[in-house]
Amino acid sequence: MSTLKLTNLSKRFGGVVASEDVNIEVPAGKVIGLIGPNGAGKTTIVNMITGLLPVTSGTIHVGNADITHAPAHEICRAGLARTFQNIRLLGEATVLENVMIGFHRHETSSTFAALLGLPEAGRETATLKERAFSLLGEFDLQAFADYPASGLSYGHQRKVEMARAMASEPDFVLLDEPIAGMNDVESNALAEIFMGLASSGKGVLLIEHNVRFVAKLCSYIYVLDGGKLISEGTSDHVLNDPEVISAYLGDAHHA
Amino acid sequence: MSGIIAGYLPLFDLYLIHVGLAFSQYIVLRAGVFSLATAAFAGIGAYTAGIFAVNLGLHPAIGLLAGTLTGMGAAIFLSIPLARLRGVYQAIATVAFIQICLSLNVYSESLTGGAMGLNNIPKTVGTGTLFVFAALATYMIWAIERGRLGRAFNAIRQDEAVAASLGISITRHQMLAFAISGALAGLFGGLEAYHAYALDPNQFGFHLLITILSYVILGGRNTVLGPLVGCAILIILPELARPLAENRMVIYGVMLIVVINYVPKGIVDTALDAIRARRLKMREETVS
Ligand SMILES: Nc1ncnc2c1ncn2[C@@H]1O[C@H](COP(=O)(O)OP(=O)(O)OP(=O)(O)O)[C@@H](O)[C@H]1O
Ligand SMILES: [Mg+2]
Repeated sequence: MSTLKLTNLSKRFGGVVASEDVNIEVPAGKVIGLIGPNGAGKTTIVNMITGLLPVTSGTIHVGNADITHAPAHEICRAGLARTFQNIRLLGEATVLENVMIGFHRHETSSTFAALLGLPEAGRETATLKERAFSLLGEFDLQAFADYPASGLSYGHQRKVEMARAMASEPDFVLLDEPIAGMNDVESNALAEIFMGLASSGKGVLLIEHNVRFVAKLCSYIYVLDGGKLISEGTSDHVLNDPEVISAYLGDAHHA
Repeated sequence: MSGIIAGYLPLFDLYLIHVGLAFSQYIVLRAGVFSLATAAFAGIGAYTAGIFAVNLGLHPAIGLLAGTLTGMGAAIFLSIPLARLRGVYQAIATVAFIQICLSLNVYSESLTGGAMGLNNIPKTVGTGTLFVFAALATYMIWAIERGRLGRAFNAIRQDEAVAASLGISITRHQMLAFAISGALAGLFGGLEAYHAYALDPNQFGFHLLITILSYVILGGRNTVLGPLVGCAILIILPELARPLAENRMVIYGVMLIVVINYVPKGIVDTALDAIRARRLKMREETVS
């Protein structure tokens, strides 16, 4: 079973240190939490892992493969998928089309077939449509399949984005505040889905502000503040750590 | 009756050639590249085909193939520096490319005829041939749209970061869109050469750029119907009133401003959106 492993990962934006010597491991089959106050550097880490931000120093490995400097599309092919904190759906496309594009990594019809519209290409489109539709079912979204994705409610858009990430059948999923703006019923339904992902062998990195939610789901939690890890361990350990408490209270004082 | 049809035949021929060029423009926009180089690729294809026929006396089929390949080659070549640019910078760079091609054309007088143009090209292409190629181009664009490439192009156009994070190689797909664009422009440039007896260097300049871009912006950028409709409207409209035909470019300019302001997605896309929205609404009503 492989592991997603960050070693001494650092990122500087000019003078701003957004991430410094961060060491995180996400083993297959586990939900790992990453928490921290606003501006702690959580999203920056996901962006580095997925190749959207160049790494300043340190390394990122999936199993034995070094993906530190790989381009974003190859990182996806190495088995990583993500969602975005500020939901990024394809606004002109329908819900179904948004999920279909998630299957890109597994498309097999040749460029030649696609150019000439050979039956092989048409069959692939039909198959993907069916698979995308059944994936929407897992997120309770089938009724919205033909609607423009940009018209959906916030919570539904998040779920579409998750379905799109799942379509690539990743080994590791990075979720950047997936339940933000959802009610308890919705977030409980998602908690089930996340647990299901882990029990099917995927590694999940869950970034959340809702500490209760993280504590409930995660076997291991990392706490980030000012770009540095200030604590890690089980939820009991982390939530009682004086450093963590002061980081959060300090944040509340500033706010 | 047949007199009337014969009278409109040149217009129909123009339509068939320009539809091919419109698709060349359409496919790059579709893939999120703001290239305006179609006019240059068309010029390269047209002159290659013309020179093959006039100077080398080769069969038109070979000339068309050569025009297609040189158009495609130029596009692939141009796609390399262009991959580093985005948006309006791509547009500026491609307009500069058109100017460079134009200048090179005028300087290489011994080969291209320079400012005098390339004359005495045997006319070997008629309405039938044009129709077949326009139909094939339409089919290919339709096929692309329905398959893997269309989905990848759509994703890249709307959000490059999302596309990349889903495993889509942006460089590879944009280069492919460029190659298709260059091949189409080169082919239809070549058809123009074999249809028109003569070529003039200025034929492939700014004027053509605006004309082709207008077809796509007026018709729409998201379905194969867009360029077909946009091209038809802009070619027929000036003919309805003769004085308008003298001022074709003025009409195109006004049309562009109006369309960009009031139907920014183009006529066909806007209509299709409306139809889709209505269908969803009707479905809701039958459910509830
Ligand atoms: N592209 C950028 N250029 C410069 N600074 C940046 C950039 N992206 C992030 N930062 C800075 O890096 C720090 C970490 O930001 P990041 O978005 O990773 O925090 P976060 O933990 O995700 O916060 P939040 O909980 O608000 O989402 C912040 O100080 C932010 O201002
Ligand atoms: Mg964040």
